[in-house]
Amino acid sequence: MSTGGSLNTEPGEGGTAPARFRISRDLGTVAATITAVAGLLYVFLVVTVTLHVVIVLGAMAVALWLLQRDPRVEASIAGSFERRRSFALVLGVAVALAYPFAIGQNTYHIHLLVICILYSVLTIALNFQLGSANIPNFATGATYGIGAYSSALLALNHGWNFWATLPVAALAATVFGFAIGLPSMRTRDAYLALVTIACGVIIHQLLNNFEWTGGAQGLIGIPAPSVFGHSFTQPLRVFGLTLPAQANFYYLALLLLMLAIVVAGRLHHSRIGLAWNALRADEIAARSVGINVVWYKMLAFAVDAFLAAFAGVVYAFYVGYIAPDNFTFLVSVMLMTMVIVGGMDNVIGVIIGTFLLTLLPEKLRVFSDYRLLFYGLVVIAFLSIRPQGLFPQRLRRYRGVE
Amino acid sequence: MEQVVQQLINWLALGAITALLAVGFSLLFGVLNVIHFSHGDVALTAPFVAMGVLIALPAAGFGVAIIAAIVLVGFMGVILDWVSIRRFRSAPPMMALVATVALGIVLRELIRLLYPNGSNPHSFPRLFEGTAFTIAGATVSWLVVAMIGCSVLTMFALTLILYRSPLGMRIRAVSQDLEMARLAGIDPNGIFQATFFIASATGAVGGLFTASYVGLMRFDMGIIAGLLGFSAAVIGGLGNMTGAIVGSLVLAGLETLAQAILPDGAAYRLVVAFTLVLVVLVFRPAGLLGRVPVPKV
Repeated sequence: MSTGGSLNTEPGEGGTAPARFRISRDLGTVAATITAVAGLLYVFLVVTVTLHVVIVLGAMAVALWLLQRDPRVEASIAGSFERRRSFALVLGVAVALAYPFAIGQNTYHIHLLVICILYSVLTIALNFQLGSANIPNFATGATYGIGAYSSALLALNHGWNFWATLPVAALAATVFGFAIGLPSMRTRDAYLALVTIACGVIIHQLLNNFEWTGGAQGLIGIPAPSVFGHSFTQPLRVFGLTLPAQANFYYLALLLLMLAIVVAGRLHHSRIGLAWNALRADEIAARSVGINVVWYKMLAFAVDAFLAAFAGVVYAFYVGYIAPDNFTFLVSVMLMTMVIVGGMDNVIGVIIGTFLLTLLPEKLRVFSDYRLLFYGLVVIAFLSIRPQGLFPQRLRRYRGVE
Repeated sequence: MEQVVQQLINWLALGAITALLAVGFSLLFGVLNVIHFSHGDVALTAPFVAMGVLIALPAAGFGVAIIAAIVLVGFMGVILDWVSIRRFRSAPPMMALVATVALGIVLRELIRLLYPNGSNPHSFPRLFEGTAFTIAGATVSWLVVAMIGCSVLTMFALTLILYRSPLGMRIRAVSQDLEMARLAGIDPNGIFQATFFIASATGAVGGLFTASYVGLMRFDMGIIAGLLGFSAAVIGGLGNMTGAIVGSLVLAGLETLAQAILPDGAAYRLVVAFTLVLVVLVFRPAGLLGRVPVPKV
C-alpha cells in the first residue's frame, strides 16, 4: 500500500552476498511492520478496559517519540517498503482481506472498521487539497452528504439500485465540488476557508429544512445493495466460514479504499500532483512557470468531491438511515483534523491518523461524558508535540536519484 | 410602519452583538495573523462565568458578577494563548486553525461538564429590565438600548486604545511589522497578551448580551455565534475594525430581513447569512473594506 514515490532501482541489486542479505532484511522489515500495525489495530479494537487503552496510547506515544528522536529508523523502514513494494502490497492486501476472519463474529468491531475505512476514503479525498495543494476545505462533510443524499433519494423515490446510484451521486457531488472551487479563483487562505465553511453550513441547513430530504429526521429505510443475487444483509460465507453481514460492507469499503489509494498514488505521480505541490510551495512561482492555478485548485475540489461522494453512497446504504447531522461542519472539522494529525500529503499517514482518531472516541466511550473533551485535548497535544503530523510528507523521489 | 421600525431596532440590536464578536476576530487576525476559531466559544463562556460567580458568591450581586465575567474571560483569552495558541505562532496557518477549532471543542465540553447540569440550556436574566421608550408604536426595551449603547461605547473605547494610546501604538506596530517592532524594543508577547485580553473581554460583552437577548445560555452557543462573528469580520475585511462593524451591520441586516420577509425565515436565517458571505467573497475577495494585497515574491 506504499505510495511513496519510488521508481528508483538499486545499483548492483541481487547477486552478491550483502545484497541478498539486504533483500531478506527488507522482506523481514516489511512483514514485521505490517504485522505490527495489524496487531496494534487489533489490540486497539479489542481493548475495553480504560487502563489498557491508556497503556496502548502510551506505547504509541513512546514509539512516536522514538521515531522523532531517531529519524533513521523511519527512513530505514520506508526504504525497505520502497525496495519491496510488490511484496508489501501483496502482504498488505492479504492482511486486509483476512482481517474480518481474525475479528470473527464481533459485529461491533467490524462496524468500527467499516466506518474507519469510509473515513479514510474521505480523508484521502480531502488530502488532495489540504495535503497536496494546501487549500483549506471545510465542506468535505457537505460533499459526503450530497453523495449520500442523492443516492438515497434515487433509491427511495425511483427504486434505483446501489450500483446505478454510484455514478450519479458522484457526478452530483463533483458538480458541487466545482461550484465550491469557483470562488477559489479569487479568494485565498482565511477567506477561502470561510467560503468552504459557508458552503458546508448552507448544505447542512438546506438538508435540515427541505421537506423532500426528510428534514431533520432524514431518510430511513435505504435498501441494502446486492451483488450477483447475494444481498448485503445476508451473512457472508467464505471457505465454509461464516462472517456477519457487516463483512459484506467491509469488503465493499475496502475495495473503495484501495481504489482511492491507487487514484491518490497515480495523481501524486502525475503532472496534476506535481502542480498541486507547486501550488502549495508557492502560488506565484507556480503561476510564473505556466501552471493554471485556478484550474488546478478547482480540480482539487472536484476530485475531493468525487471520492467523498463514493464514501457517502456506501455509508448511506450501509447504515440504511441518514440525517443532516451526519454531515455537519463538525464532521468536516474532524476530517481536517485527521489529515493534519496523520500527516499532510502522505496517504499512509492520513489513513493511520484517520483510524486513530475514529477509534479514539469509541475507546474513550468509557469516559462517556469526557469523550469529546479528551478528543480535543489529544488533538491539541498532537499538534503541539509533532506539528508536522504523525507521518509528514516525504520528498518526491525520481528515477535514478538516491 | 410599526413593523418596519421594530425590524430596524432588531437589526441594530443584532448588529451590535455581532460587531462585538467580529471586532475580536479582526483584531486577533490583524495582530497575530491567526484565525482564532474558538473566539466565539471564549466569548460565550461569559454568561456561564457570570452565573458561576453568582453561584459561588451569592452576596456579590449580579452587577459584580457581570464585571467579573468580563475580566475573567479576558484573562481566559490570555491563558489560552499562553497554554496553547502561542505554540502555533510559527506553524503553518492551517495548524493554528485546526488547533483553535479543537480548543473550541475543549471549551464547550468544559462548560458542559463543569457548570451544574451544563448539558441543558439555562435561562439567563435580562441585564436591563423594562421599556425605555416607544417610537412610532414600536417598543424599545432598556436591554436593546444598552446593547446598542455598550457596543458603540466599546467601539469608541477600542478606537481610543488602538489609535490614541501608547499600547495601541505598539499593537499597531506589531501588527504591521513584527520584526521591526521587535527591533524597536517592543516585546511582542506582551502585545499578543494584551490583544488577547482586549479581544476576549470585548467578546465577553457580546456573549453576555447575546445570552441576555435570547434569555438563554447553552454550552454550544459559541459555534454559531463564532461563525457569524467570523463571517461579519471577513465580509468587512479581516484586520480592519471599521470593516468588522460594517460587516456586522450588513450581516445582521440581511438576517433580520430574511426573518421578516421569508415565510419560514427563522429556519433559513443561516442559509441567507452564509449565502451573503459567498456572494461578497466572490465579488470582493478581501471583504467589503479590505484591499486585496498584491502578492509579491
